[in-house]
Amino acid sequence: MSVQTVKAIDGIRFSVWSPTEIRKYSVAEITAPETYDEDGMAVQGGLMDGRLGTLEPGQKCLTCGNTAARCPGHFGHIELAEPVLHIAFIDNIHKLLLATCRSCSRLKLPQEDLDNYTQVQKQKAAYTILSQKRIPDEILDKAKKAKECPHCGKPQYDMIFTKPTIFIEKTEIGEHRLLPITIRERFTQIRDEDLRLLGYDPNTARPEWFILQVLPVPPVTVRPSIILETGIRSEDDLTHKMVDIIRVNQRLKESKDAGTPPLIVQDLVDLLQYHTTTYFDNEVSGIPQAHHRSGRPLKTLTQRLKGKEGRFRGSLSGKRVDFSSRTVISPDPSLDLSEVGVPEAVAKKLTIPEIITEWNIERMRELVINGPDIFPGVNYIVRPDGVKIRLDFVEDRSVIAQNLEVGYLVERHLSNGDIVMFNRQPSLHQMSIMAHYVRVLPGKTFRLHPSVCPPYNADFDGDEMNLHVPQSEEARAEAILLMRVQDQIISPRYGGPIIGALRDFITGSYLMTKDDTVIAPQEFANYAMLGGYEGALPEPAVKGKDGPMYSGKQLFSLFLPKDFNYILTSKWSKGTKGQAKDVVIKNGELISGVIDKASIGAEEPESVLHRIVKDYGNAIGKQFLNSVLIIAKQFITHYGFSYGYADLELSDKVKNDIHTGIQETYDTVYDLISQAKKGTLKLTRGLSADEALEAYIVNELSKARDKAGNTADQQLDQKNAARIMATTGARGSSLNIGQMAGALGQQSIRGNRLNKGYSNRALPHFKENEDNPDAHGFVKSNYRDGLSTIEFFFHAMGGREGLVDTAVRTQQSGYMQRRLINALEHIKLEYDGTVRDPHGHIIQFLYGEDGVDVQKSDHGEAFNIARLIESETIVDTGKKAVKDEQEELLKKYTKTFNPRLTRLVEEGITQSKLSRDGIEKVLKKSLDLYNKAKAEPGQAVGIVTAQSIGEPGTQMTLRTFHFAGIRERNVTLGLPRLIELVDARKKPVTPTMDIYLEEKYKKSREKAIEVARNTLQTKVSALLSTADTNYTNEITLELSPGALNQRGCTVEEVETALASNKKFKIETSGNTLTLNLAEEGDAPTVIAIRNKVLNTIVKGVPDITRVTVAQKDDEWVIQTTGSNLPKVLEIDGIDKRNVRTNNVFEIAATLGIEAARNAMINELSSTLEDQGLEVDARYIMLVSDMMCSRGYLQQIGRHGIAGTKDSVLARAAFEITVPTIADAALTGEVENLKGVTENVIVGSNIPVGSGTVDLFMQVSKS
Amino acid sequence: MLSKVVKVATKKSHILVPDHVYVPKHEIMTKKEAEEILKKFNCKPTEMPFIFANDPAIIGLGVKPGDMIKITRKSPTAGESIYYRYVVEV
Repeated sequence: MSVQTVKAIDGIRFSVWSPTEIRKYSVAEITAPETYDEDGMAVQGGLMDGRLGTLEPGQKCLTCGNTAARCPGHFGHIELAEPVLHIAFIDNIHKLLLATCRSCSRLKLPQEDLDNYTQVQKQKAAYTILSQKRIPDEILDKAKKAKECPHCGKPQYDMIFTKPTIFIEKTEIGEHRLLPITIRERFTQIRDEDLRLLGYDPNTARPEWFILQVLPVPPVTVRPSIILETGIRSEDDLTHKMVDIIRVNQRLKESKDAGTPPLIVQDLVDLLQYHTTTYFDNEVSGIPQAHHRSGRPLKTLTQRLKGKEGRFRGSLSGKRVDFSSRTVISPDPSLDLSEVGVPEAVAKKLTIPEIITEWNIERMRELVINGPDIFPGVNYIVRPDGVKIRLDFVEDRSVIAQNLEVGYLVERHLSNGDIVMFNRQPSLHQMSIMAHYVRVLPGKTFRLHPSVCPPYNADFDGDEMNLHVPQSEEARAEAILLMRVQDQIISPRYGGPIIGALRDFITGSYLMTKDDTVIAPQEFANYAMLGGYEGALPEPAVKGKDGPMYSGKQLFSLFLPKDFNYILTSKWSKGTKGQAKDVVIKNGELISGVIDKASIGAEEPESVLHRIVKDYGNAIGKQFLNSVLIIAKQFITHYGFSYGYADLELSDKVKNDIHTGIQETYDTVYDLISQAKKGTLKLTRGLSADEALEAYIVNELSKARDKAGNTADQQLDQKNAARIMATTGARGSSLNIGQMAGALGQQSIRGNRLNKGYSNRALPHFKENEDNPDAHGFVKSNYRDGLSTIEFFFHAMGGREGLVDTAVRTQQSGYMQRRLINALEHIKLEYDGTVRDPHGHIIQFLYGEDGVDVQKSDHGEAFNIARLIESETIVDTGKKAVKDEQEELLKKYTKTFNPRLTRLVEEGITQSKLSRDGIEKVLKKSLDLYNKAKAEPGQAVGIVTAQSIGEPGTQMTLRTFHFAGIRERNVTLGLPRLIELVDARKKPVTPTMDIYLEEKYKKSREKAIEVARNTLQTKVSALLSTADTNYTNEITLELSPGALNQRGCTVEEVETALASNKKFKIETSGNTLTLNLAEEGDAPTVIAIRNKVLNTIVKGVPDITRVTVAQKDDEWVIQTTGSNLPKVLEIDGIDKRNVRTNNVFEIAATLGIEAARNAMINELSSTLEDQGLEVDARYIMLVSDMMCSRGYLQQIGRHGIAGTKDSVLARAAFEITVPTIADAALTGEVENLKGVTENVIVGSNIPVGSGTVDLFMQVSKS
Repeated sequence: MLSKVVKVATKKSHILVPDHVYVPKHEIMTKKEAEEILKKFNCKPTEMPFIFANDPAIIGLGVKPGDMIKITRKSPTAGESIYYRYVVEV
């Protein structure tokens, strides 16, 4: 192989091509609209001119002489007969026209103002960084208002801009079209210093270059023609568009030369403008799209770059790869957890390059003899001189095999033990791509262990997965070190196991470890062997009638580490209300309790599995899980566990009970309804009468369902398969059992009962306004007995909503994930412990504020001090250490700990009974674990953060509506709220406040209500009983004494509120206000005045539309609907220090950016917690810090973080591709390729993780 | 970047609540302290997180653009943590 110079791109400068440059770069002027002549030869000066590059492999380029493989293609040009506007810069052209003088082309600002701005721009003080960016907009704003040029004194005229390309100036003489020629002339005179003020770089982008006089013609390689099977040549869309341009250009030129009337020439110019516009962008609003002959819109330049399938996202950020494979997956519980079963057919296609050495030459010879068709074989041999031999075409492979020499490269089939990367889309978190060891199996599907399904979120209903084969030694090493399944057992989202036992494995281990399970010695030995146990067998613990027997617990204990101690409560014990802390493991021996989901389940933190993985390492953890899973599987297979129709059979009596139970509830419901009709129903705060009734009914009905379910559930004994599965956590819940055997219960749409569909009824089978719950979707039947036709239909209605919901939410959460990833992808941990973006901007000074990596942590803590002390206490024999000794040791070891950790350790140690040596051991171990738990430099903490918040977003889809009890406030929750938060919206959909009160108000309800009244926004309209208008000069308002009293207002207050309005005079008599209008008006004016009067705020805070007073831990708190923090802070009696709102933006404005950050953290974590999703605090903090790091709230999205990134390519790859690039060209931006996306785009190594490390060489000065 | 205006909350309240539960302790740093921090983290002022000179939490501290603010936050992971922000013009 020859030595090639490796060149790396250092940076990319964006600029606008000037006409001179275009002509310089051009190798040919294109004048002919024809592409090929009759013989099929490219026309000279045509669009397919040989000088523009070659397409066919044999042909040589007329410019560079290379063949198609090496010729990069060359630009040509078209001389336009009339200049036209460049559509990508049309906004800039418009702005410049508005801001500059029509006569002298200076910025229409007085010279001193300009000088001032120049001064500000020159001043390099660091704190002006943000204000500097606003200069161009300020100048533009001021300049376009000038009516006269401050420089030459010429009057300025208004401009009408008709999108997309027509500018009209309104002069005294009339409207006058600004032609590109005129615009160009004006622009040429704009001074460089004026341009610099506007942010332009005059060296890379002079505004006159926005007006095209000459058009570059892209090389043929950019727009290759294809030859169809019929032999007809089909040209690229761009070529078609260029042909149009050349045609019109030619006609225009001819007409101009022939002296055609200017009107017709202008039409042609407009046509040329149209064609060049659509050549650049075929989706410009305001002009018709250009279409292909078939009616398909042409895909022109902008369309090529833009969007998901565009160049940036489709071809540059996402690349297709070799050595990969995709097929359906199916389960195989006999596999090792870290294995993947690969079909032989796939293994014969995917290869691994292996260099022949004297140690593997014999093995390789055998493989070569097998050839490409016999597994395991070889597909190619590469000789050191670079010649590649394809073994398909070799007659006698044994000859080749004999001629193999050391140094040859062999591309052998994938075989057992090779490491590969396995992936399932959507790749929402790092565990979506893991490294597995290959196991070549017969069949046509990829096989994987069912227990690795949760991280991939895979099931076997037809899912397909991808497999990638790393080709280099480095890639394999990285895969093994970082990506293996065993190293992903602990999820970085919450520091607990994500892989573990599930479904039948859990049932199996329950059956195996329950108290009455005995195993014959013969079987026991078999299980031990299957589980890979290699030690001596223990003594049987149970005496059976056929001799000594082993207990199931003994079998499980075989695989526990010998010094393992742990106590926890099993799911089973919780479910059957048994003893707490029933699972006792002492010295690696399961003493009591059953092993179920709580001990070895997936997504169960603080389980036996979690402890083993954490205390003994990933490898032992994986080995343990593997063994347990295999014997559990084997056990349940032998045991025989099935489930059927008969398991849910209930006696007639029970069925009758269920039926009467439901009937009773129905009677209660009827009773409630009649109470509501009579008006005696007790109302709930904040709900209208109808809402309250509905809430009561829903509550009753849900109780009825629960009761029916429980009655059924209790009839099934503890040996019932469904009960076993539900209680051990293997599958299903008692709710599911209740629905199968008891009653299905209320069906709902959007959390409400089914009411709509037909007039006042859900289905035409019912009377209007039926009271019977049956008519509103209550299903009395159960799944076992089957549903009636109408019930079935209602059930389908509810089911449909679920499907729609999933479909909609996956899209929403997908987009949120994309935005999060884009905002955070470039954030990494530096060597000094700070979290920064690649341009050095600090986001956090210490990652997570304690520098701990969640994946290496113990459920979010650096180490579990309680557990360390506990295990040491068991073995510790010494005398209890005295206080001085404790303190001395603590001082010695906790030096590097943060305050919280120090406190925890102190508390633990001082309360323990450990000896001096014991304490020292514990502290040494703590310090060691602390140092090990620290995040490593280079870690892509941003990406992990984005994934840890984005991935649970997808889970929220299924876990949305769980309403219980009666809600007083309507608050947005779940995914919509999460999106709202990362969007940093100005106003949330449901703003609310929690207002805590001052000492003297918070103890009594009355006092609290008093404050609440001052808070609630009260308009005049809310206090009226009647309002009369005579539509000429008088409005009579009758105030309601009840309302006045309830709102705590007086007539005088209303008067004063209205007094400011000068349009009328008020006369008061008792509760009646008469407004005499100052001047008589017609009906519309009077109505307008009346509406204004009715909307006048008498008292309270604007936007606070509803208040309720609630008791929170023996203090009264005002809860509001609507939020207005600045105004609420002015109210007397509130605790200013403890007023909370869910409007983060408002907090940023009134309390500052740091307060906004805290509020953000609170809101994010409560939203996630509310959905039962565990996300480590460090991630929430990083997102919040990121959003607040610039001093104001930045959105996660194109208007915020992603839009203000320093890298042009990263911005372009996210959204708004073309305008971003155009802007970059104007300002002469330089892409420095420091971030992640940029480097993916140009195809070099990304500077995070193992890509952070580089080798530098000290070059000596001499 | 051209045409990208930094949008700032302009509606600043005149009621200041520096002891609000959400507002951590803000302190102004001396020039020397600030320089030490810049040296410790080996960075330019523009690389620090920003805070606007009119941020409600620092009004009354007598800050001017170019100052550095030390913020003592309560932390769920570390108990207490220190954050720094560089004061910039609005």
